Amino acid sequence: MAMSGLERVMRTFKREPVDTMPFFTGMGMVLLPPIKKLGYKFAQVHTSAEKLARSGIESARMFNLDSIVIPYDMCWESEALGNTISLYEDSEDILYPTIPTKNWEELDQVNISQNDIETIMTKGRMPLIPEALKIVKKEAPEKALGCWQLGPFTQCGQTIELDKVLKGVFKQKKKVEEILDKFTDLIIEIGKALQAAGADFITLREPGVAADLLSPRTFKELIMPRLTRILAAWKSPKVLHICGSTDPIIEMMNGCGADALSVDIKNNLQESRKKLGNNVLLFGNFDVFGLPCRAETTVEEAIQGIKTNIDGGVDAVWPGCDLWPDIKEENFIAMEKTIREYGKKPSPALKRLG
Amino acid sequence: MKSKEALKEELKEAVISYDEEGAKSASQEYADAGYPPLEGIMDGLAAGMQVVGELYEKNEYFVPEVLMCADALYAGLGILRPLVPKTEGTAKSQVVIGSIQGDVHDIGKNLVKMMFDVAGWEVYDLGRDVPLENFVKEQLRTDAEVVAMSAMMTTTMLGMKKVIQMIKEKNPNVMIMLGGAPVTKDVAKLFGADGYAESAGNAVQEGIRMIGRLREFEAAKKAEGGS
Repeated sequence: MAMSGLERVMRTFKREPVDTMPFFTGMGMVLLPPIKKLGYKFAQVHTSAEKLARSGIESARMFNLDSIVIPYDMCWESEALGNTISLYEDSEDILYPTIPTKNWEELDQVNISQNDIETIMTKGRMPLIPEALKIVKKEAPEKALGCWQLGPFTQCGQTIELDKVLKGVFKQKKKVEEILDKFTDLIIEIGKALQAAGADFITLREPGVAADLLSPRTFKELIMPRLTRILAAWKSPKVLHICGSTDPIIEMMNGCGADALSVDIKNNLQESRKKLGNNVLLFGNFDVFGLPCRAETTVEEAIQGIKTNIDGGVDAVWPGCDLWPDIKEENFIAMEKTIREYGKKPSPALKRLG
Repeated sequence: MKSKEALKEELKEAVISYDEEGAKSASQEYADAGYPPLEGIMDGLAAGMQVVGELYEKNEYFVPEVLMCADALYAGLGILRPLVPKTEGTAKSQVVIGSIQGDVHDIGKNLVKMMFDVAGWEVYDLGRDVPLENFVKEQLRTDAEVVAMSAMMTTTMLGMKKVIQMIKEKNPNVMIMLGGAPVTKDVAKLFGADGYAESAGNAVQEGIRMIGRLREFEAAKKAEGGS
């Protein structure tokens, strides 16, 4: 009998043999066909615990993903710190919420108190996340339940303009370090609350520090110590994800203390595997737009893309970014089928049963 | 008084070493000496940015450095650009630029905008989080030759395709540039764009390449007897 998604994912993190390749994510995974089936509008799912939970459950069940991940957008914490979100309720397109204008215009204005950190889970929409996690845990016990947090640098860019933060790395280094420490404390607090609410695993996402944005030296001096502190404070299982160019920093990523690493399409997977060896759980790297969404991609091309991803040395097929909701259903179904069949062979860090 | 060549070198060095004050003082000195301002912009400030692009390509500079270099360039441009005679440069060329609706990131967009500013184009910056139809309306209003759009996320990238279709239906000669992390060469081609840049840093490189093209464009216009 096939394992449940929960069993497969949890065994993966424990490095115990599984029946076949896991197909799961730790990032946004809400899909349009389930939303339509539920009769929701995309903009509505971000402001209701019930809709978050139902849309996640339905997305995972309809396409046999091993995990359900809550929430979907990246504005929760920034909103909780006082910024206003835009939900695009009038748009016909699928648009994730954004923070159009940030209250803090300069680094010197950033002010996060200990009280802000301790009460963050009561602010804005934040109470909805644990509520949604609890619904999912109760109603979809067969799936692994994931949650995530942005890393301190990226989160900082959600509350003050990113160019100010980037330039501040040189011009106001002490101030940037001080702010990143505050965000680090905040992220630790939120992660602990989400784990306490029932999350089976957590992903730390720090896309703003890729090696095409910041130098590996800055990563080592400024970012790595804080990612390490966050990951040490959370219980396992925990995944570290960085989008963009990660080839020059993949070994440092591995030194941050996560149980698994996640990369996107810009990573040279085979080279990363060589650098990391076969004991490190490595996820990601498939093209989340090209394979499941691009109108011109045939089913055969989607299948081939998945096989290439598996042959590249991943231990789970895991999108290198949020899944784009508007999938081509026939491609996604074929991808899942391929993952389970082609993924019966062991992966570098994970054996198979039997 | 310093020579024109020495001051152009100072302008270039100020940009490379992200020295805003240095760029301002060298620009003022260059202007006070009465040297041709467009030459100072192109062979001093823009030439410095070209080196910055090379340093980025060699992984010696990263986005923070590039942004600070851009600030230095703008510091100099603010002094020299107003001095360029209306008949000199490519003032008649126009570009509509913005980050697509749903996207509030604008670093890459601003770096590409900088290149158009350097080249003396009329820039209609729609900002960020721009509703799709606004690109079309602004292009029609201004009759701009180029429309440049940026999207940082896959989730907003698809809006670009709609804009391109709308614009090309009305005016097939408009050149479309796309930029942003999820935009690949294949995506740009598929959407019907004429150029692309996949990251903020890549936007710098693409922008620098564009300066070369703009210079060629300008030379061709002059050869045809235009401005």
